[in-house]
Amino acid sequence: MGDWITQSSQLIASVEEPHGAESHGGDHGDGHAWVSWEGLLVYVAIVVGTLFVLMAQAKKGLNNRFFTNKLTQLFEQVYLFIENMCVGTIGAHGRRYVPMIMTMWMLVFSGNLLALFFPTSPTADLSFNLGLALVSVAYVQYEGIRANGLFGHLGHFAGPKLGGFLALLISPIIFVIEIVSELMKNVSLSLRLFGNIDGGHRAAEAMNTLGAGIYVPFGAFLLPIKLLTVVVQAMIFCLLTAVYLSLVTHHDDDHGHGHEAEAGHAEVAPAH
Amino acid sequence: MTGHIFGLGIGLAALGVGIGLGMIGNGAMQGMSRQPEAIGKIQVAMLIALAFVELVFLLTVFIVPGSLKI
Amino acid sequence: MSNAKQSSGPPAIVGIIVGAVLMFGGFWFSKNVKLEFIKTLEAQGIPLDPGKTISIIGVLLILFPVIKFFFIAPLAEAIQNRTTELERTFGEAENLRAEMTQMKQDYERRLVQTEADAREQIQGQIKEAQSLRQQMMAEAGVKAEELKASAAREIEAQKQQAIAELRHYVVELALQATEKLVEANVDEERNRKLVADFLETVEAPR
Repeated sequence: MGDWITQSSQLIASVEEPHGAESHGGDHGDGHAWVSWEGLLVYVAIVVGTLFVLMAQAKKGLNNRFFTNKLTQLFEQVYLFIENMCVGTIGAHGRRYVPMIMTMWMLVFSGNLLALFFPTSPTADLSFNLGLALVSVAYVQYEGIRANGLFGHLGHFAGPKLGGFLALLISPIIFVIEIVSELMKNVSLSLRLFGNIDGGHRAAEAMNTLGAGIYVPFGAFLLPIKLLTVVVQAMIFCLLTAVYLSLVTHHDDDHGHGHEAEAGHAEVAPAH
Repeated sequence: MTGHIFGLGIGLAALGVGIGLGMIGNGAMQGMSRQPEAIGKIQVAMLIALAFVELVFLLTVFIVPGSLKI
Repeated sequence: MSNAKQSSGPPAIVGIIVGAVLMFGGFWFSKNVKLEFIKTLEAQGIPLDPGKTISIIGVLLILFPVIKFFFIAPLAEAIQNRTTELERTFGEAENLRAEMTQMKQDYERRLVQTEADAREQIQGQIKEAQSLRQQMMAEAGVKAEELKASAAREIEAQKQQAIAELRHYVVELALQATEKLVEANVDEERNRKLVADFLETVEAPR
């Protein structure tokens, strides 16, 4: 178990060829291998280290008047963009979620950028994306429970408040569907990011194979469209997180509805 | 043989998703040209819709091979 | 769920500790636990390693509070401070502008006042001059009337004198003519009286 540090020194190579148990057993792999735990560690370390170096540089330029440091201006633009997104999607209380969503944006964006120049990257790994999505959805649930209370939040899943017999019949079905849809949020968030970034790699590889006979790397011409994907996917990931947050917290304004949902749940509960 | 079917299926999925993406872009552009002041909101909604349509294709790509036992 | 109503999240140190535990737990999981359905998924072309996912969750739990306190909170504070500073500066500028507008209004009002004063004075002068002219014209008219009256009086006197002289000459002529005519030496005193009586009768119808 102690030799994973020595293993990690040959990670880039380990990506190129199948690596022990981590290599997948599919037929259509043709050399496309998945990075091991240590490899992912290195890529995450690259991303996080770069982020911290940039942030430390940008932190020097902070003052209360006017940011002259280019890096600080860049981070300020990112902050304002995320803040705009949060406030526009969630509402006035969305400013609270800016740090979390901005961290997410920076991680996803720098991971996607890394994918442009490296054979793989954190966001081209489904496990990383699934972790990110799980944290995102779990945070949404946590915020929902904090905003509406546990029963109020569960009452959200039961759909609209129905009266009498209908409630016993329909609300459990809606409840199950909503739970499944919550689980699917994880899958959709992670699979979307993974599919886009890894799909870019696959497309570049395929086009490189196409041009291998005449020594032209056609895959390199995909760079502009991949750059677009990088920006759009980072934005969509954060935007969807913000949308999910707004869905569970938008009853903050009128507490009356939250209590209604809670009452509705109280009727539904015996049906289970 | 299954490989050919797989390729055809992926192509069909791409066809449908392409039509869907095009329709979303069409609607968004018409909306934007009618109401240039609402471009920001329309763009956000359009991106969300694009993401969901795109997901259909990704699901096809990742689920179909397993169900076909390639 | 005891902190459901609490406004702040769980303390950051808990997140960091849990994150660290999850990180190494994920490493252990990745190396030692092989799940059956993961192999099925891999056969489908979906590469999933739950160990990596657990580790990433741990990393993220560490990263969120660290990045928040390391960078985003100072950045947000600086932006907030800058915004308030800008607002303050704008407020000051606004105040100065309001003051300037006030001063300009004062100045304009004073200008208008001065103009009105000047116009009033000019009007007064003109009126005074006109009244003076009227007065002078009236005086001149009076003087002219006086002169005319005195001239008329003089003419009247001259006329009376001329009439008296004329009468005298007429009497003389009549007397001489009568003397020549009668050629008699009559008493001059009686004659004169006679002529005077006659003249009285002549003058009466005039």
